[in-house]
Amino acid sequence: MRLLAAVILVALTNIAHAAEPYVIGIVAPTTGPLTTVGVRQLYAVQWWERTTNAAGGINGRAVQVVHCNDEGSPEKSAACVRDLIAKKSVLLLNASVTGPIRAAMPLVQNGPAMITPSPNIVPDPSSYVFQTSPSDIDLTRAIALFLKRNNTDQLAMLASTDASGEVGVASAAAVFPAEGIKYELARIDLKANDASIQLANIVKPGIKVVFSNYSGGGAAAVVKSYSNLGLTQPLIVSYANISDAFINVIKNDLPKRLLGTGVKAVVPELLDDPAQRKHVEDFMVSYKQMNKDNADMLTLLGLTLADTADAVLRNVKTPDDAAAVRAFLETSVIQSVQTIRWSKTRHVGMTADDVAILEYRNGRWTNADPIQ
Amino acid sequence: MNPLTQSIISGTMSGAVYALLAVGLVLAFHTSRVVNLAHGESFAVGGLTAATLSEAGQPFYVYVPVAIGASILFLLAIERLLLRPRRTWPTGSLILVTLAAAFLTRGVLQLIMGVDPLSFPRLFAGAPFRLAGGVLPQQGLALIAIGALAAVSVTLFLLFTPLGHRLRAVAENPDAAELLGVNVDRARALAFGIAGALGGLSAVLLVPLVSVDYQAGLGMTLRGFIAAALAGMAPSLAVLAGFGLGLSEALVTNYGGALLQDPIVFLALIGIAVWQSRNIAFGGTGRA
Repeated sequence: MRLLAAVILVALTNIAHAAEPYVIGIVAPTTGPLTTVGVRQLYAVQWWERTTNAAGGINGRAVQVVHCNDEGSPEKSAACVRDLIAKKSVLLLNASVTGPIRAAMPLVQNGPAMITPSPNIVPDPSSYVFQTSPSDIDLTRAIALFLKRNNTDQLAMLASTDASGEVGVASAAAVFPAEGIKYELARIDLKANDASIQLANIVKPGIKVVFSNYSGGGAAAVVKSYSNLGLTQPLIVSYANISDAFINVIKNDLPKRLLGTGVKAVVPELLDDPAQRKHVEDFMVSYKQMNKDNADMLTLLGLTLADTADAVLRNVKTPDDAAAVRAFLETSVIQSVQTIRWSKTRHVGMTADDVAILEYRNGRWTNADPIQ
Repeated sequence: MNPLTQSIISGTMSGAVYALLAVGLVLAFHTSRVVNLAHGESFAVGGLTAATLSEAGQPFYVYVPVAIGASILFLLAIERLLLRPRRTWPTGSLILVTLAAAFLTRGVLQLIMGVDPLSFPRLFAGAPFRLAGGVLPQQGLALIAIGALAAVSVTLFLLFTPLGHRLRAVAENPDAAELLGVNVDRARALAFGIAGALGGLSAVLLVPLVSVDYQAGLGMTLRGFIAAALAGMAPSLAVLAGFGLGLSEALVTNYGGALLQDPIVFLALIGIAVWQSRNIAFGGTGRA
């Protein structure tokens, strides 16, 4: 009788254990100046949580996404990561920006794996940090190649004064001179609501294109100032500004030509792989039904986080073993909005080949036309 | 383009907004002795109301007065619901109450209006004016002209009209003012209402040139407060200090870069605060 009771107890314990959800921690700024960056990525990951659980979970276990709001602050980002590790997250997703992500990286020296889509993060291959986008250097190189294809060798560039701006400035210094492109640079404070002084300093005669690498909603100040000054050159905005929310703020002041750097998936027609195109299109439809909002570049970046988490949970037998997760990520190909491929020597998932120079035309982003 | 001319134009535009905010802060301070740290929220409330109504298809002659009305109601509510019932509290505690109100407003705006920045079309559209290598949009000219006119008008009202004198008397000695027949509650409500109107006006003039979101208020309070502090909370100097702050910020950005803007402005503020506190440091009767 006692033996039977013990067997039942063990069985019940196993069932209870099996029913425990997989905890996925996500750091995303949902208040503060970087809200527009964090919210959309978070929504994409929450979309994955809901659809996965509605389909019965993974391996019979539900997925539980635990969010921590770092407000775009490095101190809070580190506190978030500590808290999410304490909550036994098997994987950390970091949808914040450069400074806060960097502040959190030392905390995952021994795992768990932390996945981020920020192009400004180029993780050490010996670390547990993986980045799903092309790097900022790749994005800058894509701009340089676009300019060269259009016989343009002069550029005016605006960069923010935060850590993201520093990365942009370093990438510009590494790429543009090597490609024979001269550039004028000015910096803008994250809280500034006017960029006309900076633009007056850098848009000199002969400048055919202006590039703003300022991320977040505040970049509207750049576009509005551009319009206030009556500038007519094409304006290239940053990777993180390819969003409907951003267009909504500037719709009354759209430059004559608004360009941007993005992954090709923003324009599904640019994807060669029919399976990837279907994945993106299905996500866009389902996301819109669930959130009553169009998916944009930032939600697609959130989807790269979700797809990576999904692949880990489905393929790694012991996802709470950080070394096993890292080994899986370094040797597998993640099929997401585009192919993400990491290795033991590179923890950046995409390359310059994955980047498209986009143009906002007739209410949607599409492939950029040549510069005239 | 000429960067110096553009700096002067941009600085004057910012200065008009700072002047409106500073005059509103000084006005409320001179009737209640409280630095209202929720003052900038009147900018956020007005701007977001206008943007939301514009988004809903309302014409400007609807959303402009409604937005300014919302800003007025907001600051009247701060005075009536938060400050008036606590009029016997120490000033320091009341300032903290206004800070709490600012954060509460921020949270409520986030819940109601969402997190995305918003904007609305310019009230004064058309080709910008070009002068001496600088560019001034028509909305910018309106901002400078209307902003300066409103700020100066309120200052003159406060300095030279009987009602203005009564408002200031309320701050100097509310009990004595009441004995002389001044309705203190009404005077304070009037001051907060005018301050709200200035906050709302600054929003409808500036937001079409930039954008606004739920967290815009605190930054506006800070700039308005710096201008008011530079003026020593004196009504006669608030407009000048607002324009001076806007111009100096623009010139620092032009010659020193954006990285130097905040350090230099705050250094100037500290310097002026130290200079203004000389009397206090030496017993309130001048230097020893």
